Amino acid sequence: MKNQKFLAPLAFALGLSVVGMATAQSLTMGVRGGPESMDPHFSALGPHAEAAKHIFDTLVWSGTDLQIEPGLATSWAPVDNDTWEFKLRQGVKFHDGSDFDAQDVKFSIERIPVVTGPTTTAIYVRRVASVDIIDSHTIHINTDGQAATLPNDFIRLFIVSSEAAANYSTPETAAEGFNSGTATIGTGPYKYVSWEPKGDLVLARNDDYWRGMGAWETVTRKEIPNDSSRLAALKAGQVDVINYVSSVDYLALERDAAIDNVKGDSVYIMNLQLDQREDTPLVRANDGSDLDANPFRDLKVRQAVDHAIDRQTMVDIVLEGLGRPANQMMPPGFFGSNESIPMPEYDPAKAKALLADAGYPNGFEVDLYCTADRLPGDGAICQGLGQMLTQVGIKTNVNAISKTVYFPAQARLEYSMFMNGWGTLTGEASYTLGGLAHSNNPDVKLGAYNRIEYHNEDVDRLLQTGAKMMDPDERRATYEEAMAKVMADKAYISLVQLQTVWGAKAGMLDFTPRFDEDTLAFFIKPAS
Amino acid sequence: MLGFVIQRFLQALAVMTVMSIIVFCGVYAIGNPIDIVLPPEATQDIREEVIRRLGLDRPLFEQYFIFMKNLLQGDLGRSFVYNIPVLELIGGRLPATLELVLISVFSATALGVTLGIYAGYRPDSWISKTIMAVSVLGFSVPSFWVGLILILFFAVNLGWLPAGGRGDTVEIWGVAWSFPTLNGLSHIVLPAINLALFKLAMMIRLARAGTREIMLTDTIKFARAAGLSEGTIIRRHLLKLISIPIITVFGLELGSTLAFAVVTETIFSWPGVGKLIIDSIGVLDRPVMVAYLILVAFLFVTINFIIDLVFALIDPRVRQESAA
Repeated sequence: MKNQKFLAPLAFALGLSVVGMATAQSLTMGVRGGPESMDPHFSALGPHAEAAKHIFDTLVWSGTDLQIEPGLATSWAPVDNDTWEFKLRQGVKFHDGSDFDAQDVKFSIERIPVVTGPTTTAIYVRRVASVDIIDSHTIHINTDGQAATLPNDFIRLFIVSSEAAANYSTPETAAEGFNSGTATIGTGPYKYVSWEPKGDLVLARNDDYWRGMGAWETVTRKEIPNDSSRLAALKAGQVDVINYVSSVDYLALERDAAIDNVKGDSVYIMNLQLDQREDTPLVRANDGSDLDANPFRDLKVRQAVDHAIDRQTMVDIVLEGLGRPANQMMPPGFFGSNESIPMPEYDPAKAKALLADAGYPNGFEVDLYCTADRLPGDGAICQGLGQMLTQVGIKTNVNAISKTVYFPAQARLEYSMFMNGWGTLTGEASYTLGGLAHSNNPDVKLGAYNRIEYHNEDVDRLLQTGAKMMDPDERRATYEEAMAKVMADKAYISLVQLQTVWGAKAGMLDFTPRFDEDTLAFFIKPAS
Repeated sequence: MLGFVIQRFLQALAVMTVMSIIVFCGVYAIGNPIDIVLPPEATQDIREEVIRRLGLDRPLFEQYFIFMKNLLQGDLGRSFVYNIPVLELIGGRLPATLELVLISVFSATALGVTLGIYAGYRPDSWISKTIMAVSVLGFSVPSFWVGLILILFFAVNLGWLPAGGRGDTVEIWGVAWSFPTLNGLSHIVLPAINLALFKLAMMIRLARAGTREIMLTDTIKFARAAGLSEGTIIRRHLLKLISIPIITVFGLELGSTLAFAVVTETIFSWPGVGKLIIDSIGVLDRPVMVAYLILVAFLFVTINFIIDLVFALIDPRVRQESAA
């Protein structure tokens, strides 16, 4: 799937539109979401970081498959248990011609906690205790305890110019300075021209970019949140490339010679989550009376749920083929994904037998909650799930609702059985298992998203030791073991890994999909 | 007259206060915005820090009073999502909505009233029947579907007009408008038609019903008996008499379209305020939602006030009532 390219058809049907036809040197992208500010440190939202990557560079770069690579830092290594040394790239210049050095890195790291918005970027520097400048291109980062995954934290650590942003680094002044362009001085492939919230972001090429010159002189990033409108803009020739083609449109586009599809794997995996509290609110016997115990605390019931789900049908029918069956909470190949975990088999008879064995020969009733407007297909998967569970005797009432209602209620622990997507954006397991699978414990800062009170002593221990292991191989083995244990417990049941589709004018672009779904102009080339 | 104005002003104040309480409590009931905006890596202490920063750890009434205190000082707060003052955010997008809505509502009214009067004046002609049939379509077809069909036909298939977005703008009095440029105008056409269709249908029906009723009254009979030409009768008498309900509806439609042109703005990616409010609801951006809805309440009160004044100008009976 990776490295798939737009095929150049022999006859590119011309005359799509006379309006806004792009010239060879300009690229217009139609994207679903956009930045919330021009201050890269304001928000940790995906589209925000995606837009910021055009103007600013990160200290550590996250590649197409989310492997970490040198960015503005050329190398890094731990000096001792709580210090990391980063060597910085020489000869890099900001858009205003000033030199990039250690001072800018220290300034950016210290600026983040001050100016961040509610989608807080403080997460990128949460392990940083202090920054020491050793020389103009060497820094030492002192961490609070051992921080083995510090370089992974830095993949969205954007470096701003310490001179240009000096006066725009309080919550009150940051938006003004960056949205006006005064402080929007980065080292990235494109220079800021103009932006309006929810509108267009216009960029001009940075000819002195250290990776080399980009292919497009100007880039316009148009925000078109509605899926149909975005596709219409592509078909009418107003934009050259769009992201997030819906699964319905994808089938139609496959037959459209004027549009190329590029399909890429997504980091998002749909997880069904089963409440592990002794008292759970939304489960009852078939006649409506209370059950003696929460059935989801019984491993047999959880296994029954797992066997009741036909993942292949989910992918083929519900997602129109845009996905893969999933057996764990991260895509294969990520740091900590465990290859030995078997794909759960679909076996309704076994599910029924397990339920009977657990003391529920006639099943029980449960309310299932899911998001319906967050990721492609989430509502439809929820419906499918309801039918499959009901078939084995777990009478499931499906509630596919807006994320605006879902997440606050989920955080208040109001649900017994719920499903939403989770994307491992850093490409490694401490991000996912640390948030979901550790018991919720503020003292060790783990388990903040464990909303089912899942608790396994072994998993807790593995995750705590793993976070401190500086040796990558040992750490990988530890997380793989933790992943196997979590998935065997079946409190989290992974269902499908999503795939995303980009659409582009046929034969025009050469483009490699990224795992984190970013659409980056610098890495899109004209088709040769 | 002064008493009337003061009374209206107090009414507006009351409406806006009630509005702010309802919105505040409503948003509070949906849930904590923190659970929507917080990134997944956030640990428990980071979560506490963000809650404290946004002031969400305070009790609801305290949050409300802080908001009202700032409001009285002319500060509607800063958007959670964009970190810029709410007024600046709304003000920046208002011209886009304003030009789209004014163009569509005015052209719908002008065209709708003309067609409606014709249909009421000659109810049995085949042209009138066609007009009425089309107006039924305008009523009953959902506007998001019409929008998509317009895009499909004019933008995708024919390629005559752009599929969405706002075109080139020019600055007039420091505000960016797109209608004076050809490119801007080409972007307005489709969303304006989409927005106007329902209003057009309504205006046709209103004008037709009014015309049919008035044409049978003694006023018209006497005017005819006095030997006035049909053109004069329509202009001087008919138009004046049917205009009261039309102006009322015009005002309400103008207000609601300005505030909630959401569907059209979404389909055509029009960067107006309707899209802003929907996006803000999606992320529970409380300052924007509250401020926006208070402004909308203000807008409606103002429009109704202006309509009352216009009534007084047109209809002598209303004038006499308020003088008494």
